[in-house]
Amino acid sequence: MSIAPAEITQVVEQVDPDRPWITMVWNDPVNLMSYVTYVFMTYFEYDKSHAESLMMDVHEKGRAVVSNGTREEMERDVAAMHGYGLWTTLQKDD
Amino acid sequence: MSTGFNLESSGRIILRLDEVERMMLISLCDQMVTLVTPQERDPDADPLFALVGIEPSVERPEDEVILRLFPDAYSDDEHAASDFRRFTERDLRQTKTNHAQTVQETLQRSGEKVVLSIAVAPSWLGFLNDVRLALGSRMGIDDDFHDEVVNLDEDDPLLAMLDVYDWLTYLQETLVQIMLA
Repeated sequence: MSIAPAEITQVVEQVDPDRPWITMVWNDPVNLMSYVTYVFMTYFEYDKSHAESLMMDVHEKGRAVVSNGTREEMERDVAAMHGYGLWTTLQKDD
Repeated sequence: MSTGFNLESSGRIILRLDEVERMMLISLCDQMVTLVTPQERDPDADPLFALVGIEPSVERPEDEVILRLFPDAYSDDEHAASDFRRFTERDLRQTKTNHAQTVQETLQRSGEKVVLSIAVAPSWLGFLNDVRLALGSRMGIDDDFHDEVVNLDEDDPLLAMLDVYDWLTYLQETLVQIMLA
């Protein structure tokens, strides 16, 4: 439990220079919605509602940011997503 | 066509297949292994690269099926995407090969009743997904595909391929539902 006010924690997260990269999963016509949810729950250990909400973003908006961190961390996530067969890229978070 | 995967009260996952379906899946395992198995290493290559799993050079695949299985990790940076391939593609190919071989081993010691442990279920899911990606990419599948095929001749080979694809979709969906439960 943190004693810092929530707003301050939020600001610190936004300007953290060590986490400027993002992993993006793109929609494709083959991957099942249930399978995409399963992958987000299995690999990222997201709970079911968060995994489903990200999956719906992929499905309806065409893409979703599923993780952020250092470039090395994001390359690891992208490689894992490619292992699962999800169409995934990384980029700098501008 | 079979009824898909079922979870028994004992915790075992069961798939009932007729012989044609079993042989079809075994054949798809063979084809996937042929498609994705990493090439033998050049014996003259720097052993240090082999040690850390890096390929001295990996070309961007021209075949759209291979490109879908091993996509670019950077959409706007060719150089970074190429580096990423050198560092990751061999391991990725090995992962997909292992999935197909695991599925094939299960099938070869099974009869009409295929019994899966939870431990091998992720390999089955991965394999079913890889085959569907390969077939879907070869057929040029998109969101409207099933509406468009009604215009094809009934002996068009694409329809037979689509039957297999739809069956694999059904198998994957029933297995993923068990894994999500």
